[in-house]
Amino acid sequence: MDEEDAQHHEGSPELFMFLASTVHDMKNSIGVLNGTLENLLAAAPTTPEQPGYGQLAQMLYQTKRLNDNLIQLLALYKDVGKPGYPFDPAACRVSELVEQVAAQARILLQSRGITLDLDFPPDAIWTLDEDLIIGVLVHAINNAIRYTRDRLRLAIRIDGDYLELRVEDNGDGFPPSLLEAGVSAMNSQRSAINFLNNSSGLGLYFSSEVAKMHKYRQRSGGIALENGGTLGGGCFVLRLP
Amino acid sequence: MSGAEAIAATAAEGAVDWAEKRYLLVDDFVGIRQLLRESLRNLGAKHIDQAASGGEAMMLLSKTRYDVVLCDYNLGDGKNGQQVLEEARIRNLMLPSSVWLMVSAEKSVESVMGAAEHQPDAYIIKPITEGVLLTRLNRVWNKKQIFREIDQAFADKDYLRAARLCDEQIAHDRLHEIDLLRMKATLLLKSGEPEQARKVYEQVLEERDYNWARCGLAKILMNNGELDAALTMFQAVITDNRFYIDAFDQLARTFQLQGKTEEAFGVLEKAAKLSPNSVPRQRALGQTALKLGNIPVAEKAFRKCIEIGEYSVMKTVDAFFGLARVCAQKNDTKEAIRLLNAAVHQFGGDQVELRVKITEGLVYHETGDYRRARKSGDELEAMLADETKQRPDTDTCLDMATLLFAVGVREAPVGLLCYVTRNNHDNAPLLEDVQKIFDKARMTDEGVELIKASRKEAADMMNKGVLLWKTGKLVEAVEWMRVARKALPHNMRILFNSAQILISQLQQTGYVRELADEAIAVLMHVDAIAPGQQRFAQLMEQLALLAPMSGVVAAAAASEYEAANGAIPDKPQDMRG
Repeated sequence: MDEEDAQHHEGSPELFMFLASTVHDMKNSIGVLNGTLENLLAAAPTTPEQPGYGQLAQMLYQTKRLNDNLIQLLALYKDVGKPGYPFDPAACRVSELVEQVAAQARILLQSRGITLDLDFPPDAIWTLDEDLIIGVLVHAINNAIRYTRDRLRLAIRIDGDYLELRVEDNGDGFPPSLLEAGVSAMNSQRSAINFLNNSSGLGLYFSSEVAKMHKYRQRSGGIALENGGTLGGGCFVLRLP
Repeated sequence: MSGAEAIAATAAEGAVDWAEKRYLLVDDFVGIRQLLRESLRNLGAKHIDQAASGGEAMMLLSKTRYDVVLCDYNLGDGKNGQQVLEEARIRNLMLPSSVWLMVSAEKSVESVMGAAEHQPDAYIIKPITEGVLLTRLNRVWNKKQIFREIDQAFADKDYLRAARLCDEQIAHDRLHEIDLLRMKATLLLKSGEPEQARKVYEQVLEERDYNWARCGLAKILMNNGELDAALTMFQAVITDNRFYIDAFDQLARTFQLQGKTEEAFGVLEKAAKLSPNSVPRQRALGQTALKLGNIPVAEKAFRKCIEIGEYSVMKTVDAFFGLARVCAQKNDTKEAIRLLNAAVHQFGGDQVELRVKITEGLVYHETGDYRRARKSGDELEAMLADETKQRPDTDTCLDMATLLFAVGVREAPVGLLCYVTRNNHDNAPLLEDVQKIFDKARMTDEGVELIKASRKEAADMMNKGVLLWKTGKLVEAVEWMRVARKALPHNMRILFNSAQILISQLQQTGYVRELADEAIAVLMHVDAIAPGQQRFAQLMEQLALLAPMSGVVAAAAASEYEAANGAIPDKPQDMRG
């Protein structure tokens, strides 16, 4: 957000510039907070019984949520899903995508005693907007932490003309209200506000918009929430053409 | 293969030793710098420097050749990350192998437009985590390996070979296919092969509607004179993405080519609103506004141009001239002269001094001070009398001739117009403009005769060289073309033939360093006057087959750049009182 955006806000460019620089500052602060917590947790003995370790882990979890929300709000502010958004699809190695998502989630998952299984075709290449897709997958993992017992699975495969990316957990599955919100997110007939009332609404809305931006030869992407999958718990499914 | 093994395998395949590299971190937020330093240390890095501002970064960059620069886009006051990058590249402070990662708080429009001439190797969005950093570093490194030979040929201006290398790589590299095609199209355009470039863009567009490919295609249409088609295509890109600034700038140019100054003005105004921090855009806006007599907008644009130029290597003396003209329109001669003095002070050089004198004359003329205007004219004439000094570019010559006639000087402008004619003896549209200036000075008949004589003079010089060459008198031909070049330093036909004859000589005698350097210098000069010529690419290719070019061309191009633009600012200069 910078001077260039400010020009679109005829009302009060000065106020906008002030808000923009504040947001910039907030991102820096959260980044430092997040990094410091990860460094502390990485340096700490790996016995989660240590006093204070649990609280640190909880702080990191909350910081990640805050960061997720900020990223999504910024994207919405920049009209993610609309033509003006700086959408940037490029050929990308699926292995590198997984590498980056796993690295971002590693400390958090470790601190909560959760294992992440990875399953993907090592040589696959797909055209996608890497930053946006990493954002969606990391968010899905942070979300799954709430529902899982102790295991998550990031599974990617090529399914005909689509790349299917799944985040699965071994918990008791998503509650019906969340499954319903997942359907709403992909249903353009309903107004965004309906499912934004749900606490998961922002993330779902962001993910569905990102999915829909990915278009190729008349096909476009989508998301779905379901129960079952390999681990028998909740599944977040992203499909990209 | 399990996921973890696959990751390990991918990492091993592109393994780079990041521990021994030299790093520069640029961010105005100390917490972020500490965190990044921590991350780099975890990768094993030992040599890490930090800068809190663009100015500080430039100081460090001028002392050390870094392997990796991590630079925040938003650096508070002063230079932004893009300006630091541009200056570092233009001042040649980066190794070809150096990696520049631009960091931003969010996905930026710039990262997708790719319109800026100097692109970072990759953009990273905050917060930067170790895993993402390592993946991106490895990726950029591997990409650089793949593009190394192509980039080298590009830097050597051997565009045809670079384009062939792209083809070879495309055949077996699906990951970089689109990047390679984009590069190939650029190279073909630089080689004066727009039809082939057009095919590449069309091929890419069959796959996906990339805006850069649509813009590339539209630019070809525009240069081809298919202005309506170009217009439609640029407008389609803008409808699709209102942030695609490059399309605005090109749309404005198309309107200008159609002679629709008001439409061009409207588009430029919008573009400058969307993205105000561009020196060339503000200059174009100012000049168009001046043309339309919209003094307030012209003034604002030129002032903005000077303001942002302060921190940019794109800084231009044109903004000072434009603003001086604005002041003249407002009858503020004093301010205009102050600006012209500032231009001499800040830029200096013969060319700038000539243009300052011209603008000074125009300012006095426009404010009705004909006595002072005539004095400027006389001073100009005296400056021109010094034959050892290089004449300015064609546009400046025409401006100068117009002014000199207007203030009543006769001989000097006639000389200038003949000079322009000799240097462009087969450029019909330009010669029409020359004739118009004669007409305005009530010298229609003399003009016709003078143009005819000047054209013949140039043609005779060229024919003599070609005849010597065709009859196998190569040494004499080379010698004669040196004379011709000196007499007609901007004549493209003479310059190309001169290079051609030098190359023939080299082909016959084998590689001689001095002759090869002479040919390169001639070609660099021609490329600076008129880039994108087919013959340029062909001759460079022939030359490259004869001699190792690595580095020579870059040096020649840099000195050509300096000759045209004056010394690049911010270089350590000796202090003169």
